[in-house]
Amino acid sequence: MTRTAAPTSTRTIGENIRGLSVAIAIAFLVTSAGVGYWTLVASDELASDPFNPRLVAAIRDRPRGKIVDNANGVLAESVKTQDGWTRKYRDRSLAHVVGFASFKYGASGIEAAYADSLVGQDPGDPIATWRARYLNEHEEPGSVVLGIDPKVQKVATDALASTGRKGAIIALDPRNGAIVASVSLPNFDPNQVADPRTEDLAWQQVNGDESKPLIDRARQGLYAPGSTFKLVTGSAALETGVNPDTKVRVDDPWQADPSWGQYYVRSASKAHGDFTMADGYRLSENIYFAKVGIQIGGQKLAEYANRFGVGAAPKCDVTAAKGQLSNTGTLDRPTLVADTSYGQGELLVSPLQMALIAAAIGRGGVMPTPHYAVEVRDSSGNTIRSIAPGPVGQVVRPDTAARIAGYLVGAVEGPGAFAFGARIQGVHVAGKTGTAENPAGPPHGWFIGFAPAENPQVAVAVIIENSGQGGVDAAPLGGRVMQAALGR
Amino acid sequence: MTLLLRRPSEVGLLIWVAALAVTGSVAVAAANAAAFDRRQVLIPIAFIALIAVLHVFLAWRGLRGDQLLFPLAAGLSAVGLIVVQRLQPVDQPLLVQQLSWMVVAAGAFAATILIPRDLTALARFKWTWALLGLALLVSPLLPVIGREINGARIWIGISRFNFEPWEAVKILLVVFFAAYLEEYREVITHTRRVGPFAIPPLPYLLPIVAMWGIAMGVVIFEKDLGAAALFLGIFLAMLFLATGELLYTLIGLVLTVVGGFAVYNLIGHVHVRIETWLHPFSDDLRFSAGYQIVQGLFALGNAGLLGAGLGNGMPDRIPIVWSDFVFNAFAEETGFAGAMVLLALYLLFFYRGMLIALRAPTPFLQLLAGGLSFIVAFQTLVIVGGNARLIPLTGVTLPFVAYGGSSLVTNWMLVALLIRVSDVTARARGTE
Repeated sequence: MTRTAAPTSTRTIGENIRGLSVAIAIAFLVTSAGVGYWTLVASDELASDPFNPRLVAAIRDRPRGKIVDNANGVLAESVKTQDGWTRKYRDRSLAHVVGFASFKYGASGIEAAYADSLVGQDPGDPIATWRARYLNEHEEPGSVVLGIDPKVQKVATDALASTGRKGAIIALDPRNGAIVASVSLPNFDPNQVADPRTEDLAWQQVNGDESKPLIDRARQGLYAPGSTFKLVTGSAALETGVNPDTKVRVDDPWQADPSWGQYYVRSASKAHGDFTMADGYRLSENIYFAKVGIQIGGQKLAEYANRFGVGAAPKCDVTAAKGQLSNTGTLDRPTLVADTSYGQGELLVSPLQMALIAAAIGRGGVMPTPHYAVEVRDSSGNTIRSIAPGPVGQVVRPDTAARIAGYLVGAVEGPGAFAFGARIQGVHVAGKTGTAENPAGPPHGWFIGFAPAENPQVAVAVIIENSGQGGVDAAPLGGRVMQAALGR
Repeated sequence: MTLLLRRPSEVGLLIWVAALAVTGSVAVAAANAAAFDRRQVLIPIAFIALIAVLHVFLAWRGLRGDQLLFPLAAGLSAVGLIVVQRLQPVDQPLLVQQLSWMVVAAGAFAATILIPRDLTALARFKWTWALLGLALLVSPLLPVIGREINGARIWIGISRFNFEPWEAVKILLVVFFAAYLEEYREVITHTRRVGPFAIPPLPYLLPIVAMWGIAMGVVIFEKDLGAAALFLGIFLAMLFLATGELLYTLIGLVLTVVGGFAVYNLIGHVHVRIETWLHPFSDDLRFSAGYQIVQGLFALGNAGLLGAGLGNGMPDRIPIVWSDFVFNAFAEETGFAGAMVLLALYLLFFYRGMLIALRAPTPFLQLLAGGLSFIVAFQTLVIVGGNARLIPLTGVTLPFVAYGGSSLVTNWMLVALLIRVSDVTARARGTE
């Protein structure tokens, strides 16, 4: 041995070298386990992530599955062209819902959310998934069936187009959360984005367009709810012990105390009089709801807004926007409480969220979980998987919901009601208009509602951007869509 | 005796390396025949010629001892060329650049084999190495030559060529530490004990604390988490090799955690790195700071046991994949199995290096070889750990494989030093 380890040292360098080697070997083992986790264990989850570009990678080599509506009408299919398989879309009004699948620009809508099902790797069919992943054997993909009803979709599309304005209409079945119609204007031609010959130009155009046609205003558009939010304020008031028959004095303009300075809540009808809650809904009296909101306090109001899903993204098969209750998420100033009570303040909601709130009031306080797809089928048409998420839960008591529903019928059918345009012959309709003040021009018009009022089969939300007369313009559109959904 | 038979094991292994370079290149070309460029045929041929020349050079110089490290480094470099050929973006001639850097690296390797006539003499100039290292370390902060690329100011550049000086600094650091610790290890190891606590002789540990400070300085001023982690690792490992005192390592780790926490709170980009590590898939990060790691994990998820096959994956969707995420690119197309083989090559390299350290005749050479081997293993762990989201992602390169000149050149110099130590040992023992 020529090694000259220092004799005074308690350990020789040789021993230290062995110790360090063992430590490094263990670190390699741990690292290998980590690599094994991602490559072998987590691979299924990663493979089905909608933003994984590998999902649409095979788009030109193999056909993708069809997307069909609830009458089996084809909405999207793969067609063989000289460039390989190309996606064809049949209904432009569903551009946002169906989405697009582009090799270059990824996927959106159902094309993204059900990307694994559309390449024959539905989580409900683990064997096909396994064969595709590990053996590279691909079954002919089946189809994804949407809850979209083509008749209702057509009525909604024509109704919104007739206004000549931007906006959105969304209608769903409150009993199970299936979305039966969804339209957002302006829209775009998904065929242009999916076609390799036009994709670059089309993508530049839709992205550069000031009117933002790529945004699905029905589930991603965020607006102040205006008076439609009074469903939430009223529910909170009833459950906090406010007597709805107590007359509340309304004198326009109103402030709670002089500390509000130049700040007043204003009545749309410049009202002076005594209001019950029923009057408040029928005439959409802001001062009534502002006073009630102040009475129950910001904490209660925030609690009920959260229960109704305000400020949270709805759990939905296609991702939806979450909006906000306020900039801070709390209601900590009296003026903010007053403004929020009648749907202004810093509130932001999507039409989908408002349709769900209407649905919950219509169904005795049970909010459904929204979903666009209802079924995944294999290539021979057999059901692989039904999509039927249970309800989100009971957000208010049944008696509270029933009482509010009664007021909403009054808001459509009562004397002088703002939402009279939503009436349907022979059916009781419950509904509420809203007029959302916004910094970018004339106010937006809202309508939310459901029908038949006593046992609703459809709930709807309508928004018309910068509408001339606010909610009064939106209510008839909601009526027509609900009428179509009821088959009348 | 003919030159060919002087290093017989090496010849046998290099034949495998040559086969790897050719089959890999052919597989990549076959998978994407449309993009095939005839000149690509020259790449493996040039590489094999280069390796053959280096082998003959080693035989001609009569180097004895280890015959495994050179084929291992050559094999890893071949993997690097295959991956770069696979990932080569259309608009950047990375493959030709990587091959050019390989030629420079071969030159640096040969120079390191030739130039220090007596390895032990390196120890005498330890303060020179320390100063040179410090100068290189701060050089990116200087005006004119310092350059900031991708948010990190760790480059020096002259016209089109950029170099990361800390790559060279890590070798200088090991030389300095080996020399310093050989001289003072007895003093440092002679601790006074108060109860269970060992009180180290502080003056001798001062350079140690200074290094900790400098490493943190690198993070703060040059925005480079990876280099800082590497310096700390080298430093703690060297200290442990010299003294065997676990306490020092523990103190170092505590200081790292404390320093790391302060840095986390004080510096925005470190904060972002940590957040990105913890929640890369969150909605607000996956399309911004977390995009790269998310795409990297998608690549790993596509690997499976045997991989998609060379050229059949989509690793090119990872931004800057050729320098930051080569491991994931390789794993996606060769699978968990390929990734394990790659890691095994690094572990084998480390094992051979540590064996050289174990047998080396003097403490200086032992510490030198141990430290150099540690660099390769630790750097691999830091980047692969980051790629697999076990630890926060840093910008250190996967040795020999990742695209990048500074890394390739310094790693080949490192191999040369290890082979030299092995040669000294063999001669001292008069065997092999």
